[in-house]
This record gives sequence, structure tokens and C-alpha cells, in this order.
Amino acid sequence: MPQFSVSASSKSNCCPLWLIWVLLGLSAVHTHAKDVLGVPQQVSLSPDRFSRQLSISWLGGAATTFDLMILRTELNESVFYETLSVNPVSGQHLWNWTSAEPLECTSLSIKVRSRDGHMTSEWSNTQILRGNDLPSNDKCQVYPLDRVVPVGANTTFCCIVEEGKVFDDLFYSGAVMNTTRLSRRTYAGTVVNQGPSSSSGTNVVCYNSLRAKEPCGTVVFVGYPPLLSDFVCETHDLISAVCHWTEARDTMLYGKRRSSYSLNKRDCLQRGQKHKVCTVDHWEGNWTLVAVNFLGQYSLNDSAEILNRVHLVAPTKVSSVVNAWNATVLWQWKYRSYSSLRLVCQVELTCNGTKTNLTVSGVGLQSVVLSDLYPEEDYSVQVRCGAQLNFWKWGNWSEPFTFKTDTYVPEAPDVWIWMNRDNTGRIVWKPLTRRQSHGQITGYEFTLWSAEENVQHTQIFSPGTTAAPINLTQIAAFSSDKIIATIIAKNVKGSSQPASVVVPLRLTEPIALSRAVYTERGFPMTWQSDANATCGHVVEWIDAVCTRDCSVEWIKVAAGQTNVSVVSANFQPGVRYIFSLYSCSSEGRELLQRQQGYVQELVPSSSVLLSTSQQNSDVLLSWGEIPLLNRRGFLLGYNVYNSTGSELKLLVNLPDKGNRSYTVKGLSEGSHKFTVKAYTSAGEDTGATASITLELYADWLILEILTSLGITTLFLVIVSFICYKKRKWVKKAFYPDIPEPKLPGDWSRRQGPLDVKPSSHSIMHIVEKPEWDSSKEALVVIPEEDEDEEGQGMGDEPVDTDEPTSLSYYNQVVDERPIRPRFPDSSDSSASSLDSARTDVTYTGIQTSGSSLVFQLDSQASAEGHQPHADMSVNGGGGGDYRPQMQARAPSDDIALVSPEPFIEAASGGGYKPQSSWHLDSPVEGEESGGRAPSLGSPTSVASTQFLLPDGEEDTEERRQPSSSATTWFTNLLSSTKP
Amino acid sequence: MNGRVQRMSFQQFMELTTTLLPLLLVMAVDSTRTVAASSSNQQCGNSLQQTLKLTRFVQKESVLLIKTYKAAQGEMSELFCKVSVNDVPDPNISGLEPSERIASIYTHLQAFMAHFKRVYEQQTDLQLPSSPLLGELTAVSSRSRDLAALMNGFYQSLFPNLPMPEPAGGPTMLPPPQNVFQQKVYGCAVLRTYKEFLSNVARELRTLKGKVCRRRMETNTFLLRMT
Repeated sequence: MPQFSVSASSKSNCCPLWLIWVLLGLSAVHTHAKDVLGVPQQVSLSPDRFSRQLSISWLGGAATTFDLMILRTELNESVFYETLSVNPVSGQHLWNWTSAEPLECTSLSIKVRSRDGHMTSEWSNTQILRGNDLPSNDKCQVYPLDRVVPVGANTTFCCIVEEGKVFDDLFYSGAVMNTTRLSRRTYAGTVVNQGPSSSSGTNVVCYNSLRAKEPCGTVVFVGYPPLLSDFVCETHDLISAVCHWTEARDTMLYGKRRSSYSLNKRDCLQRGQKHKVCTVDHWEGNWTLVAVNFLGQYSLNDSAEILNRVHLVAPTKVSSVVNAWNATVLWQWKYRSYSSLRLVCQVELTCNGTKTNLTVSGVGLQSVVLSDLYPEEDYSVQVRCGAQLNFWKWGNWSEPFTFKTDTYVPEAPDVWIWMNRDNTGRIVWKPLTRRQSHGQITGYEFTLWSAEENVQHTQIFSPGTTAAPINLTQIAAFSSDKIIATIIAKNVKGSSQPASVVVPLRLTEPIALSRAVYTERGFPMTWQSDANATCGHVVEWIDAVCTRDCSVEWIKVAAGQTNVSVVSANFQPGVRYIFSLYSCSSEGRELLQRQQGYVQELVPSSSVLLSTSQQNSDVLLSWGEIPLLNRRGFLLGYNVYNSTGSELKLLVNLPDKGNRSYTVKGLSEGSHKFTVKAYTSAGEDTGATASITLELYADWLILEILTSLGITTLFLVIVSFICYKKRKWVKKAFYPDIPEPKLPGDWSRRQGPLDVKPSSHSIMHIVEKPEWDSSKEALVVIPEEDEDEEGQGMGDEPVDTDEPTSLSYYNQVVDERPIRPRFPDSSDSSASSLDSARTDVTYTGIQTSGSSLVFQLDSQASAEGHQPHADMSVNGGGGGDYRPQMQARAPSDDIALVSPEPFIEAASGGGYKPQSSWHLDSPVEGEESGGRAPSLGSPTSVASTQFLLPDGEEDTEERRQPSSSATTWFTNLLSSTKP
Repeated sequence: MNGRVQRMSFQQFMELTTTLLPLLLVMAVDSTRTVAASSSNQQCGNSLQQTLKLTRFVQKESVLLIKTYKAAQGEMSELFCKVSVNDVPDPNISGLEPSERIASIYTHLQAFMAHFKRVYEQQTDLQLPSSPLLGELTAVSSRSRDLAALMNGFYQSLFPNLPMPEPAGGPTMLPPPQNVFQQKVYGCAVLRTYKEFLSNVARELRTLKGKVCRRRMETNTFLLRMT
């Protein structure tokens, strides 16, 4: 830049000169300004479409500040407009601008001008970067093409619609993007935070309005830069290096976009997905691994001495030299360099799924001896080795190598004897396992022999046999006290050692059973040390249900040992086992203990057999014993329930298992259901249920009735007896003698009516029955009726109150029959009480003034024979005679309903019918009585002793003695009519 | 008299023999050739049937392959797979004569195999090595090769004196380098067109079965008559 300066002079004579200088200076400044703000020249564009970067260069003279404007050519929209400070390089100014959209999307116009403060030059010529949306390129296009971007990036895509078509949508991974128009045919949209794409990339598809036709698109690959781990190098052959690493994160970029690797700047061709390997021919000690992809690179380093990274290859050509009890395994190495290397090897021996590891070491190790093998057994062996010094890692396992050991003579069988109670038994032995047989068993040789007599019987059994029957009665032929049974197993290699057991010639007496408790380790059994048990002890066990030729199991315990836990794979829950402990000696076996127990107790599998029987009001429940097989545990007792509906009510718990009956007392009549459940420690069984219906206990009822009757009879007898003994007192108390009237003068007793002045409304005639004794004299009371209760018919009747009525008293009984009142009214009760007192009271006559008519009627009635009532009714209707007992009809509705006629009849009769009420409940009787009842029915004073008590019997009596009755009646009539 | 009679009988026998002998010869030759023609016709039918069966099988495989292909191309593949592409062989069988049509089938198969190879290469860049698409592409390509061999053999059996003509347009034209989206569209178009082509082949083979093999029999019969 040109330099210029301005200086002022103070000399006054220099004013014109000073002025000239100023003018010249101003002129110079103006000229200089025009030179600096020259229009930028030779503007050129250099686009990098991959990076969307546009390099703009121009010649701008001395200016360092420029205005740069970038427009979208078609729409003349400003994309970039800034003032830039750009220093020239070799006189040329350069500015890089990165476009948000791909540069292919549309044409851009670029122009530059110089700036100095507020002063600017003219714009340079516009330079146009042509896009792909020119009319000459009329195809549908989407940009950017095949771009690889990192996950999370934001990418702007643009679609150039086919010429003549209308833009519709732009899709990213199937989703519509928001787009903006960049030019006539170009639309752009931005995707933010892009997720990883699939191996084939993410499709970006642009559709025109005819969506189904000719879409165009692009594919973007979104992934990660490489990320590695676990980079390590090692050697197999002690020369070369093999380096491994792991791709810690999948880049999600495949094919051409996948990562490429270089090891110490040598390319590594990789095929693997995750674990990578690269080989270097010579050990270099230091390695650098670099991974590169489109999105970045990653490097790892490793360094080590070769002897510290020895990773042996697997042994090859494995072979073996085999014996019955051992074998030698041999192998070879791929590399000779191993021969001088001190190795440690691991041998994995597998037999029947069981693996055994063996470690051996040595220089250039190539064999190992395997001991403690079993004859006739298949083995598989694998070998791997590592460098013993500076051990790095185990080498690879060799391929599995299998071999089979040789055959050997079998082991002696484990033999035992089982005796039944009938002198028979079996010699049993356990079948030899594969480990014990040492080869295929060809048979068993069984021998019974007597050492004393040196006599023996031998039998051969097939390989599958495990028992030989014996019979003590046959053995008796040996005549020796000690018989020994021996069993020998045989295979192709020979015979086993003999296994012997002494045959017990006498049955062992059973001893008491105790309870065995199962624990986690089995059934523990202990015993005292026994010096006589020279060959130890034997514990045998059987199913307790078994009684003959039982499937016996046993375990032999070495001498000196005093306990053992009995365990068997055959133990079953709910099965009772009996364990027998024998001591073993040369003389035979001796039973020491017997125990029984369950591995696990269960509830009984069956219920008891329950029966019921009634005992009076009680019920006796009885049941049988559960079979041993079904108990499945030790029975602890029984629970007795009363079943009411669906509920069980516990009546009693019978812990004593020996007691298998129970009496339920105090039950009521009806149906009862009982359930009995046996229980073990595991719980109750399902229970047995029985029902019973209690019936009435008839004997007891009869007894009660008889007792009651007896007591009643006894009471009556006592009362009677007392009454009899105290009859005088009773008579005095209840039947006192009626005192004779004491009259002044001579009132000698005479036969005839005794006129007694009754009460104002009635006449009581007390009759003393002459033939009764004094104690039976009865006083019949004719109750005085209330006038108000006489009935309406009585209202108008004249009551003979004007003159006192006369009551005739006879010392005789009119009627022997007790009065039986039918209606519970007051009159009845009074009559009843009188009746109980055996006092007969009757009306003997009612004296009224007008009696002439009555006499006529009575006589008429007499002539007609027992029709006095009808006559009296007629008469009564007109006369309103005294009817003291009419009120007895009123209280009864029945009577009121059914007896209007009798009522009317009675009313119309109007005669005195003192006892007519007795006949109302029996119309027939009533009629008969009414028709025949002798009634005085007269308002006159009549001394009557019979008419007031109508009774059939009386009538009968009257009919039997018509003459006497008539005579008496007539006499009475005459006497009563006397004034 | 007896001797004359005997002479007459001999002459008559000789005349009859000379008359019947050519007839018998002609009948013998004719029967032999009829048997040969029948056998040849049966062989033609068998070969054609075998070719038809393989065609149908490959056709079914191509249907499955298209499904696999679309599934492996990402979203919206159903839509952009409908796009037509110019650089794919014509699915139609050309020619008028059976020999020309069979030759057309053969050359089409050759062309499609070239396109399959291109598609396979493109897809190896887009798919994982374990992708079923690559396996199915290989299988269909291999089957197509077998089918082409069968067609060639069938052609040679039918027209032993006619060499298989070279493709009219020269070597198969493969598309220029494409971007990935174009590759996806192109592969889909190849497979879709191939399936259509196989349909045409199957139809053509059914037509040829009733046409070529019968004609061959007639031709043989005609030749026999001429002899």
C-alpha cells in the first residue's frame, strides 16, 4: 500500500506554499483512494461438490476487506452476504465457502466488491456456479449422492424435479421431509440427528406429482468412525507375529465403506466381523494398528518380547499305547522350534462324561503317561500346552483322541444271603458294574461247600443272574454245621476272586423293631464295636411289605467302623423299609438291630373301613386297620369328625392308633354322618365316612309311660288310702252334716215338703237322699240367675217377687247321676264344684201366683206322657215364667247359630227348664230330653224333686217305675199346690 | 405230367416270391424307421419337459428372490422397484421360427446372467456376507446357467446342423457406473424382467412342445416316405 504523510509548516511566509501542498495532498489522497477500492478482478470459482465447498478467488489489489455475495441464480435469493477480511496470497484473494445444500442443487451467482470502511467498489462480474437444475439436464435428480455421514449428523438433501413435472414430496427413510424451494425445479430438505442406517444405506426418494412413476433418489450411509480394542500381538512359531484386535463398535458401514486396517503401515485384509487378525512375517516388537473409514480413523499400539507372547498351536497326530490300567498318549508339534522350549501341558481325560485334568511339563513335551485307568473303559483325551517360562496363555486344544483300555479279570461280586421263614432262601449278589467287570462277564460260578467235609456243589449261572436259590432242607445233607456259599464272576480274561457268605443253618429270631429316622445323608445306623465282627457289619434293608424272597439290598461296612448312613437310589417316599444290622464273622452272621423307617412319610393312600352301630342314643364307630402298604407312614392316630353338610367338625382325636372304635354319645334322632381319618406325620388321609340314622328309642318311651302310670296309680292308692283312713275328717270337711232346722216348738221331722223361704228370686230345694248315708247327702244348688241375663224373653215376664217363693227341702236325692255341665260358664263351674262335692241341689219348685194354667198343662202333659216341656213352652210364652238358666246359651256362637229354633222354642215355652242347657249340644238328646224331660215348668210353688234333672237314665228309671214316679210326682204336686 | 405240374408250381412260387419280397423289405424298413421316429419324438418331449420344469422352478425362485431383494434394499423399495430401466434385456422372445425363438431364449439367458453378475457385485457392496440375498442371487444365476445349457442342448438336438446364432446386438451391454440408488433400481428391474422373461419362456416351451416335437416326427416320417 502506498505510504503517505502530511506535515504542517509554521512559517507564515509559506502560506501560499502550504496551501499548495494541502491541495496537492488532497489530490494525492483522492487518487490513492481510487486505486485501493478497485473492483475485484478475475473472480474464479472452484467447487468441491463432495464437501459442498466453494473456493472463490479474485484479484483485489491492495484491498483487504471485501463484500462477498452469493445468490441462488434463478430466484435471485441471497445465500451469503458478508464483509470479509482476506489477505492476499501472491496477490490473489481466496475465500472458501461451504454451502448448506449440495452444490449440484441449483446455480449460484457469486460477486465480490472491495470495501474500505464505508467506501465500496463496484461489484465484480457475477460468476455463476452452474447447478444440475439447468433445463438441459431435464432428469429427476437427488443430491448428495452416496454420501457417508456420521450418526447424529444433519444433512440437507435436494431434489431436482424432472423438467415439466411438479414436485410432490421428498422422503427420508420413508418419512416425508420439510422442504424449501431453491429454484424452479429444486427443493431441499434437511434431516437432523440422523440415525445409523442399514447395510444398504438409507433411501432418500423424491416423488413428483405422479407419485407412482419414475421416482428418483439417493442413498446415504450413516455410521460411526472406527473404534478398536484388545489389540495384542503374539507368536505361534516363535518367528512371525499374529496380531488380534476387536472392533469395539460396529461402524454400520459395509462394503466399500467398511474400515480398512493397517499394521505398521502394511495393509491388513480383513474378512471377519468383530475379531480381526493380521499377520506379520517377523516379530517386530512394536506394532501400530490404524483403522480408517469414511468418517475417521483410530489407532492402537502394542509392544512385547517374542518369548513373552508364545501361543502354542495345538498338538497334532495324537496317538496312544494302551494297557489295562494305564496308557501313554503321544503327540507331535507343527513347529520344530517347540522342541527346545520348556513346555507345560494340560491333559484332559474324559471317561463317561467325567473329565479329569492332568498337568505335566518338560522340554519339547510330546507324551504323557496316564495311570489309574480302568480296564475295558473308553477314554477321550485332549492336550494343550504353553511355554512354561513367561507363560503367556494356553495353546489350542488338540483334537479329541479316544482309546480303550485292555480287559482284565473281574472283581469279586458283593454277595449276601436272604432267608425266608420256611428254611428257603437265596444267595444274592450285586451285578458287577462296568468298572468292576473289567470286560464282558461271561457267567457266574456258584458253589455250596462244607470246609469240614470238603464237599461242594457247583452251579453255573448266566451273566444276567444275580441270585441263586437255596433250601436248608437240602443243605442238611451236608451234615456240617458250617456251609459256605461262594460266587465267582468270569470274563474272557479269567475268574474273579471268590466271594463267600456263610449260610445260616438256623433261623434268626427276630428282634424288636425300632424307629429309623431319615436324614439328609440317609438312614444313620450306629452300633457298638464288636471284636467278633471280624469281617465287619452288614446292613440289609427290604420293603416292609415283603415277606418272602424279598428284593434285598445291603451294604457292607468294614470291621472297626461303628456307623453308617444307608442311602439307596431305590428308596421311595411312602415305603416302609426294615433295616437289619448283622455282624459278620467267620462263623456266620448275627442279627444285632432291626429298625424301620420311611425316607419320607406320606398321608395314607387308603382310608379305614368304617362301620357304625346304634347303642341307645349313642353311636359306636368302629373301623379296621389300614394295610401296611397303604399307610405310607407311621400312623399317629385317628381323627373322628361329624359331617354336617360340607363341613367336618372334629369330635375327637384318638392318638392311640390301637384304639379303633369310638362312641359318640348324646345324639338326637335323625341322620348323622361321621368321618374317620387316619393321620401320619404327613397329614390325614381322605377319610372314611359312614352315615347312620338314629331311630326313636321305643323301650325307653314305654318305660317312661309305665313309670308315669305307676306313679299315678300309686298316688291314687295313697290318696284313696288316706281318704279312707281319714274319711271322717273328709266327710266332716267336705260333707258336713246339714244341721237340722231348729224351730221353736215341736218341729218333729215328718215326711213332706219343707217350705223354706228362699231368696227373693229363686227357690232352693235341698233334698236329702234318705238311702244315702250322712256323708253322701247332697245339696243341689240352683244358682240364682241374674235377671238381666235371663234373656229378653224374661224382661216382660212377671217375676213373682210379690210373694216369697217356697223352697221345698227333702232329705233325699233326686238324681244320683252327677251333674255334667257342657258349657264352661259360671253355672257350669259352680255346678262342677258342687258335683265334685257330691252335693245334689235341685229346684224343687218356684211358686208363682198364676198356676192354674200350669196345672192344666201339666196334667195334659202327663196325659200325653212326657210332654211337659212343650206345654210349658206354650205356657211360658204367655206367662213369662221364671227361666233361670237361659243365659247359658248366649256365650256359645255355635249354639247361637244352630239353636235359634230351640231358643225360640224355649222362649215360646217360657217354662222353667233349669237343666235344659245340658241338651243343647246334642240336638237329639236335646229333643229327646226336651220332649221327655219332666219339668215342673210351673210358676207355681211346686215341690219337685225329680223334674229339674232330665236324664235318659232317669227317664228310663221313670219308665221302669211309672207308677211309683207318677205317684210320687202326683203326691208332690198335691203337696206343692197347697197354699 | 407230374413233372410239368411241378415246374409250374415252382415258377408260380418264384413269381410270388419276387412280388412279395420288395414289399416285405419296404415294410421292414418302414417299421424300423417308425420306431426310430417315435423314439426321437419321445426324447424331444422329455427334453422339453425337463427344460420346462426347470424354467418353472427358476421362475418360482425368482419370485422369492424379488421378495428378498426388496426387503434388503431398505424403505420404499416397493415403490422404486417399479421404475423401468433401459439397460435391462427385453423379456420378450424374438424370432419367428422355433429355432430362432429357442436361440433367442438362449441368448436372453446369457444376457441375464451377465446382468446377474453385475447385480451380485453391486449387492456385495450393500449387503452383509451373511445376507440371504447374495445366496439366492447365486442360486438363481446358477440355475439360469443350467437352463441355458438345457436350451442349448435342446436346440442342438432339434437342429443339429444349425449353429446357435450369436446375439444380434453383440456382447451383452451392461449399464454404466451407477450410484447406489440407481444400483438398487437396476437390480430390481433385472430381477423383475427376468421373472417376466421366464414366464415367456415357459409359455414358449409349452408352445414348442406341441409344435417342434410333432413337426420333428412329421419330418422324419416325410423323410422316410421319400426314401
